Amino acid sequence: MAGAGRGAELPPLRCFQGMDLDHHVGMTLQTKFVRIALLLALSLIVLGRDAEAQVLNSGAKTITLQAVLTDSISVSLSSSAVNFNLTAGSASNPGSTGVTATTSWLLKPSAGTVTLYAFFSSSAAALTDGAGNNIPSADFQISDNAGPFTALTTTVPFGGASAGLTLSSTRILGNNRSSSHTDVLNFNINLSTLPNMPAGTFTGTLTLQAQAI
Amino acid sequence: MKTRKLLRIGAIALGLALATTMASAQAINSGAQTIALNATLAESLTLSLSANSVNFTLAAGSAANAGSTNITATTAWVLKPGRTAVGVYAYFANAASALTDGAGDNIPSSAFFIADNAGPSTALTSTVAFGAANGGMQLANVAITGANKNSSRTDVMAFNINLTGGTLPQLPAATYTGTLNIQAQATP
Repeated sequence: MAGAGRGAELPPLRCFQGMDLDHHVGMTLQTKFVRIALLLALSLIVLGRDAEAQVLNSGAKTITLQAVLTDSISVSLSSSAVNFNLTAGSASNPGSTGVTATTSWLLKPSAGTVTLYAFFSSSAAALTDGAGNNIPSADFQISDNAGPFTALTTTVPFGGASAGLTLSSTRILGNNRSSSHTDVLNFNINLSTLPNMPAGTFTGTLTLQAQAI
Repeated sequence: MKTRKLLRIGAIALGLALATTMASAQAINSGAQTIALNATLAESLTLSLSANSVNFTLAAGSAANAGSTNITATTAWVLKPGRTAVGVYAYFANAASALTDGAGDNIPSSAFFIADNAGPSTALTSTVAFGAANGGMQLANVAITGANKNSSRTDVMAFNINLTGGTLPQLPAATYTGTLNIQAQATP
């Protein structure tokens, strides 16, 4: 049917030459109509394409993020060995070098204090010659940050009973939950209370440890 | 019903508070850092004298020719475990000529006497750890125990020259000089 309709319209186009005026006007209207129809079709195609270009979204998928900043506390030392040249009976036998202890921490809001301790595992034998002759922790002294020399005679959270010393205690506030503290330690062995100390080489291990609570 | 609800809420709140308190009370410790300590108390044995010269005004043939002064010898020691004794000795380098005039006239060590700490006067006729054979004497012998590895002792020495023995009564007038040595030894 469409083909027949189109065939009925075609003959006037093919017979354009030599036709009369009325026939020519009819031809022009027919051409106009065709043009409008073509324009409408073209517009519909374009509009259809526009409809196809609209964004297409998927469903939203979530990723759970968890970042953990672990609390930590550490102590580092500038040196790990100190020597002493002892004089029998002398109260003043300084160590060969000072040691700087740097305590660094990153703490939870619940932490209230960071404390640095020095201690021996045994108060009776802080240093020993291995032959039963000992220098007790009571005769081993530390000066912290140029403070007075203090013997290690306190019981602290670590080490032997009566074999320790609290070097420093830092209160944790809102502005120092991530911070550090420096303790410059100088050492002395007091032999004035050890009149019968025999000659020998006395060795020992002093331990430094920090605690946040 | 309302009371029960309130009680439940209170219990939950108490539980939470306790949990929070426990969490905040947990201590966090750093790793332990160690410092190796090495203290050396060197072994030593020293002897010092209160004076280092003594004069004698001799009387020919006399047994008693006392020195002008007493001398105190102080022996101090810091010893390693294992030492068992400290000996203090006086001696001459030559027993035959403890003192000499340089012209062949000698006073032997056997005529030289020391009284240690007001003890008896004793001639230097023993062979000791130092000096010449038969030219010395032991002033002191201290047993070392756990209680005196770091200690000292004093010996107050009074001197005398006895010119009565042998040919000494015939000793010519002259100035006789000599050197007495005092020395200590820790053994073994």
